[in-house]
Amino acid sequence: MNKINNLQDFTPFFEPQTVAVVGVSTRNTHALPNVFMRRIRDYGFTGDIYPINPTADEVEGFRCYKSLADTPKPVDYAYIGVGGAQIPAMLAAAKGRTRFAHVVSSGFAEVDEGKALQEELVAAARAGGMRLVGPNCMGLYSPRGRITFAEVGSRELGHVGVVSQSGGLGTDIIRRGRNRGVKFSALVTAGNCADVTPSEFVEYYFADEHTHVIGLYLETAKDGRRLFELLRERKASKPVVILKGGRTQQGLAAAASHTGSLAGDDRVWVALSRQTGVVIVDTLDQFVDTLLLFQSVKPNTAQPTKRVTLFGNGGGTSVLATDYFARLGLDVTPFEQKAIDELAALQLPPGTSITNPVDCPVGTLSQDEGRVAEKILDIIFSSGKPDALVMHLNLSAFVGRVKPEVLDNLMAAALRVRDKYPGQAHFMLALRSDGEPNLEERKREFRVKALANGVPVYDEMTNVGHALAALAAHERFVSSRAQH
Amino acid sequence: MVLQMFAVMNDIPKMIPQKLIEAARAQQRSALDEQAGKSLLASYGISVPQSLTVKNAGEVDAAMTKLRAPVVVKIMSPDILHKSDAGGVKVGLKSATEVKDAINAMAASPQIKAARIDGYLIEEMAPAGQEIVIGGLRDPYFGPLVMVGLGGIFVEVLRDVSFRICPITRLDAEEMLDDLKGAAVLAGARGRKPASRAAIVDALLKVGGENGLLMTHADDIAEADINPMIVSDNAAVAVDARFILK
Repeated sequence: MNKINNLQDFTPFFEPQTVAVVGVSTRNTHALPNVFMRRIRDYGFTGDIYPINPTADEVEGFRCYKSLADTPKPVDYAYIGVGGAQIPAMLAAAKGRTRFAHVVSSGFAEVDEGKALQEELVAAARAGGMRLVGPNCMGLYSPRGRITFAEVGSRELGHVGVVSQSGGLGTDIIRRGRNRGVKFSALVTAGNCADVTPSEFVEYYFADEHTHVIGLYLETAKDGRRLFELLRERKASKPVVILKGGRTQQGLAAAASHTGSLAGDDRVWVALSRQTGVVIVDTLDQFVDTLLLFQSVKPNTAQPTKRVTLFGNGGGTSVLATDYFARLGLDVTPFEQKAIDELAALQLPPGTSITNPVDCPVGTLSQDEGRVAEKILDIIFSSGKPDALVMHLNLSAFVGRVKPEVLDNLMAAALRVRDKYPGQAHFMLALRSDGEPNLEERKREFRVKALANGVPVYDEMTNVGHALAALAAHERFVSSRAQH
Repeated sequence: MVLQMFAVMNDIPKMIPQKLIEAARAQQRSALDEQAGKSLLASYGISVPQSLTVKNAGEVDAAMTKLRAPVVVKIMSPDILHKSDAGGVKVGLKSATEVKDAINAMAASPQIKAARIDGYLIEEMAPAGQEIVIGGLRDPYFGPLVMVGLGGIFVEVLRDVSFRICPITRLDAEEMLDDLKGAAVLAGARGRKPASRAAIVDALLKVGGENGLLMTHADDIAEADINPMIVSDNAAVAVDARFILK
């Protein structure tokens, strides 16, 4: 496939030099196009901004132009947020001077009465010589291009590239992702995908050097065949995570054969996942959690993740997590005798369980102000040899009982041991809290520190489990295809 | 020996696959009849039982000199989709006399009398083995899909089936079998003889692989059921087949 062409073709979209904004208002500064114009200026966009307005000379200090054909320079990216019926004529008038029109307006094929208008829109985009993204979405977030539709969004160029067919969910992904440490190479909301399809963006992300992980929220799969062929050819060379909406509704109605009645819409997604190595998740949280893990760790395809060690405080939590991980196909099985003997030799206080899960009450963990963890973790790495280590700390049990630096010491110890055995085991942290504001604040600070050290942080063991199972599935796929 | 016996039928001339579909369309049929379906399978190298078609009981004696009993007789009618339910299938017939009696009984039944009759298919019975199902389906977005499941309650009740998007690779076909919860049955659970995994994988590739049946006829076939396919320790024979046209 034409990697280079796709990369070049979409560069003006993700890194535009000129941006036109259609739908700016002289009276209502809260109109979305006005907001978008201010946002990209505040976000640091340094190219030319052309508000399009047939009657006004100036909006919010920017000189207006009458149409897409009248701008001083050709337009790389046009943000279009005006009543749907006006758009086709506007696009057709661009006379080949606009490369991408991102139509955020709705009222198109997402409703029955808008289907004809969408066809008109596509025809107009073609006549105007541009590619059309949307309609019925919210816009683009591209740190490298200093473009953002979202109110919040890091300026940092990250490694996670996302396409979302829902605009609102796209915003959720940016917001939730930001708070959990996901850093985006770009996020496109693509709505109805009337012209540019999700697969085209996926192809771009595969070619884009900044993108290491690809996430998709899909509701329809109009170009399913192309997506399948692309993903199969790429063989999960970058992890792809798909959050699929509407998996249960679209069963194939009126199937005449046995096979037809057994299909249901979900089966094809399971098949896609098994044949291409994409990971399919069910919830927004799983989506963000899984992207975070892929962003943070290097998949170990030589030895796909299976054996997991749990280390932390909370006996019941360990037991429940062991069950939950087992259901996800992960093993939390006891260490071999050597590791158990070495841990026993540490003579940890009563109440400490050392077989895996390694369950240490706060009293144990705070010995030597938290530095005891280093000895335990060293034995886990050197003799327990898990594929992944999950450290879980129930913050509620620490606060008020031990000095604040105990948590920092625990973390520092874990990082030192991780770095002593590079590449040996995935390391992740679950910081459990009960929602008390002071704990949440402590957790937030701690999360930032961990993330800065490349350690992904999760709220609960179930979140860790799903992300780890997704990583393991990716590793197994790459490993199985490497052998054939 | 078994392979040879069940190699390729049959009394209709070996037709190129597309012609079978065109012939059905010319007759305004929405599906291939059983014999055309099996010819289609045979043209892709899938084993089907040796069979002959007769117009009536009078042609049975001649036909039976070319077939090896026991045989099964099946009604052939564009009006009857579910042959067993209509009393149009009789299995385990050991002689020409039994075959004639079966055909006369079918011809006399009210439901069959009311239908257009193309003839009667006399077919050698496949050797014992594990029943499986291979299916095909055209997904509106992803194109042809191929399915495999174990026969009987595994498919009917437990819906224990595995789908893939065509074309599948050999590894995909192997993984499809691994996906089945009842996969252990193929290895010969509860004292049964094992069923040949290699024969199933081979059949799956002929149906769903690159240049396989479903990819080649993707624009014509809406749904397909090879049900059952009987798998012994060295062969997989398609005993019944339905192809629904788009």
